[in-house]
Amino acid sequence: MAASEHIVGRGIGNKLILFTVILVAVFWMLPIAWTLLLSFKPNSELMISTASAFQPPYTLKNYTDIFQSSGVFRWLWNSAVVSVGVTAGILILSSLAGYGFARAEFKGRDVIFILVLLGLAVPEQAVIIARHQIFSDLKMHNTYPAIILPGLSSAFGVFLMTQYFKAIPKDIDEAAMLDNASRFKIFWKVLLPLTIPAQATLGIFSFLGAWNDYLWPLISATKPEMFTITVGMASTQTNFAQSEGLGFLMAQAIFAGLPVFIVYLFFQKYIVRAVAGAAIN
Amino acid sequence: MRKLSTVLLAGLVVTAGAGTALAADKTEISVSRFFGACEADYGSVTDVTKANGECGIITALINKFNAESTTTVVKPEIVEWPGYDQLTARIRSGEPPVISVMHEAVISNYSSRGLLEPLDEDFAKAGIDVNDMTDAARQGVTKDGKIFAMPFDTHTWLWHINMNLFKQAGLVDEAGKPILPKSTEELFAQAEQFKQKTGKPYFISTLANETAFYTRTFDTLLYQQNADFFADPNKVNFSSPEAKGALQLLSDIYTKDYTTKNQDYAASVSSFAAGDGGVFICGTWLVDTYDQEAKKEGVALSNGYAVMPFPQIYSGSPRVWADGHSWVLLKQDLSDAQRASAIEFMKFLWDNNYEWARTGHLPIRKSIIDSDQFKALPFRADLAPLAVNGTALPSAVKLQFSIQDIEGEEVGSAMRGDKPVDQALADAESRINELLANAK
Repeated sequence: MAASEHIVGRGIGNKLILFTVILVAVFWMLPIAWTLLLSFKPNSELMISTASAFQPPYTLKNYTDIFQSSGVFRWLWNSAVVSVGVTAGILILSSLAGYGFARAEFKGRDVIFILVLLGLAVPEQAVIIARHQIFSDLKMHNTYPAIILPGLSSAFGVFLMTQYFKAIPKDIDEAAMLDNASRFKIFWKVLLPLTIPAQATLGIFSFLGAWNDYLWPLISATKPEMFTITVGMASTQTNFAQSEGLGFLMAQAIFAGLPVFIVYLFFQKYIVRAVAGAAIN
Repeated sequence: MRKLSTVLLAGLVVTAGAGTALAADKTEISVSRFFGACEADYGSVTDVTKANGECGIITALINKFNAESTTTVVKPEIVEWPGYDQLTARIRSGEPPVISVMHEAVISNYSSRGLLEPLDEDFAKAGIDVNDMTDAARQGVTKDGKIFAMPFDTHTWLWHINMNLFKQAGLVDEAGKPILPKSTEELFAQAEQFKQKTGKPYFISTLANETAFYTRTFDTLLYQQNADFFADPNKVNFSSPEAKGALQLLSDIYTKDYTTKNQDYAASVSSFAAGDGGVFICGTWLVDTYDQEAKKEGVALSNGYAVMPFPQIYSGSPRVWADGHSWVLLKQDLSDAQRASAIEFMKFLWDNNYEWARTGHLPIRKSIIDSDQFKALPFRADLAPLAVNGTALPSAVKLQFSIQDIEGEEVGSAMRGDKPVDQALADAESRINELLANAK
C-alpha cells in the first residue's frame, strides 16, 4: 500500500504504470473469477447458458458433491506427500549438485554440467514409456516412490543452484577454511543459508509442478487409493462434464487449486524476493 | 447412562465385526469404469429405478449388485473418460482391473494382443443367451469368432429436433411428427425453408475442438450409400464417388450457412437447448437430458423436443454409425472364485440392461427392444430400429479410435473449406493406410 502511494505520488508516468498494472491484474484474474462464479451455479442451468452465471440461484452443491466423493481426502493426502517429497528431494539434490558444479574442481565437470543442462531440452513425454517400463519391471507402480522419484531429476534446479553458488564470493569459503571448517561444514553452515532465496524459488516452483502434475501420476498411480488430487478429480467427471456438469467441473478446479493458493499466500514474500533477487543476479 | 453407552458401543463393535466378516467372505473384484462419480446423489441408492443418467444408473446398479450378491463385492475404480492410456499402463505394470468398461471399437486393439479373456463358455454356463444379443452388439463384441465382452449398449447418431422451430418453419406433419428429408435435394430445400422462416440455421453442429461429428456423420453418409470403405480391413478406400458426394454434401451445408459454426461440444449442446437451430446431430446419450429439458416451462424446448434416427437421404440403406459400451475381462491370474464373481457381475448387468437403456442408449438384448416396457419409454419406439441399423466398422479393423481421429480431421478440414474435397479424401486415405500398415 505504502509502495503504491509512493509511486502514485511521483507523477503521471507512474500513475499510468500503476493503472496498467491494475488493468493487467484484473484481466489476469478474470478467468479465475469466472471459474469461481460458475462453480456456484447449478449444472442444469449452465447446460443451457453460462450467461445465467450472473443471476441467482446459486448453490454450494457442486462443492458438497466433491466432499461426497469417497477418495478426495486420500487424494489430497497423496498429493501432499508427493509434492513435499518431490520438493524436499529436489532441494537437497540440486543444492548438493549446484555446490559441486560451482565449487568443486574435478575432471569432466563442464561436460557433465552440459549433459545435465541438456535435460532441460528433453520433454517428459519423450521418455515416459521407457520410464514406465523401468518402474513396471521394478514393480513399483502405485507406490509413493514411483510417483516421486522421476520428479527429482531437476535440470532446472541444478542450473539455478549452480548459478547461485557461483555468485557467492569464494572469499567466504576461504575464510571458513582458515577457521578449519570442513568442506561439508562450509556447504551446510556457511553457503547454504545464503541460498535461501534460490531455495525458496526452487521449492515453490517444484511444489507447484508436483502438485499440478497429471501425466505421470495418471499412468503410474492407477489404483484409486493412490490417485493424486489431479487424477482423482479428473476421474470423477462425467463423460460430458463440460456440458452437463460444468458447475461441478469449475468447483473441482477451484478446490484443486486451493492448497496451491494457500501455499502462495504463506510464501509470497519469499517468492517475490527470490524472483527479484534472481533477476538482479 | 454409562452402562447404556457400553452396551451401545459393544453392539456397534459386534455389528461392525459381523459386517466385516460378511464382506470378508465375499470375493472382491475391481471394476474400472468411466461415466463419472456421483456418490453425493446416488452413493446409497440401491433402487435403480430412482437413478437417472449414466453416472446415476451405473452407480445404483453396482450398489444393488453389492447389496444382493452373497458371494461377490464389486469395487468400482472410476477413471477419466475414455481411460485407455491408464488401462494400458495398468496392464503393462501387471495390475489390471478384473473388469473394465470398453468401447466396442477398441476391443480388437486389446483382444488381438491376447489381453482379454474370451467369454463364450462362461456366458453359456451363466445362462447368458448370446442369441438374444442384437446383431450390432454381437458383432461389436465378437472378434475372430470369439466373444470378448459383455455388451452394455449401442450408442448411435441421432437427429435431436427442436419441434417449436420446426413448426415455425412448416416442417411438421398432421400427425405432429417432424418432416425430415428423404434425399439430398430435400435436405437442402428444407434447410433453406427453415432458414427463411426462422432466421436460424437448420443444423447445430459440433465443429470445433473435436472430430466425432465429422467422422460419425461422414461414416453414416457412406453407409447410406452402401459404400464398403473397409472391404479390406487393412486398407481404407475413400477414392469413391460415394465418399466424394458425402464430403461435398457436408461442405455445401457449411458454405451455405445451414449450420452453426465454430461451436465445440459444450457450446453446441447448450446451443440446441437454447433454441439456436433446428436439428442437432448428436448421440443417444442426450435423449433423456433434452426430454427432461422439454418438460420445463419457459425454455426453448418447452413441449417441443423430438428425436429421430438419422434420416435416410441416400437410396442405399438406413444404416448409421454406431459404437457400444461393453465390459471386458482382462487376462491375468484370476482365481476360480474371481472369475465366477466377474461372470456373476456381467450376468447381473445383462439382466438389468433395460435400466441402462433408460439413459437413452439402445439396449443390446432383442428381448428388451421388443418389450412393451422399453417401447413405453419416450421416443424409443422410433429409435428401436437403430439397434439393427447401427453399424460399426468391421471388427477386423485395428486402431479404430485413431482411424476415426484422422478421418475426422480430414473431413473437418474439407467441410470448413480449409482443403479441397479431393485433397482431404486423399490425405485421409493415405494417413489411415500408413497407420494401418504400421499396426501390429
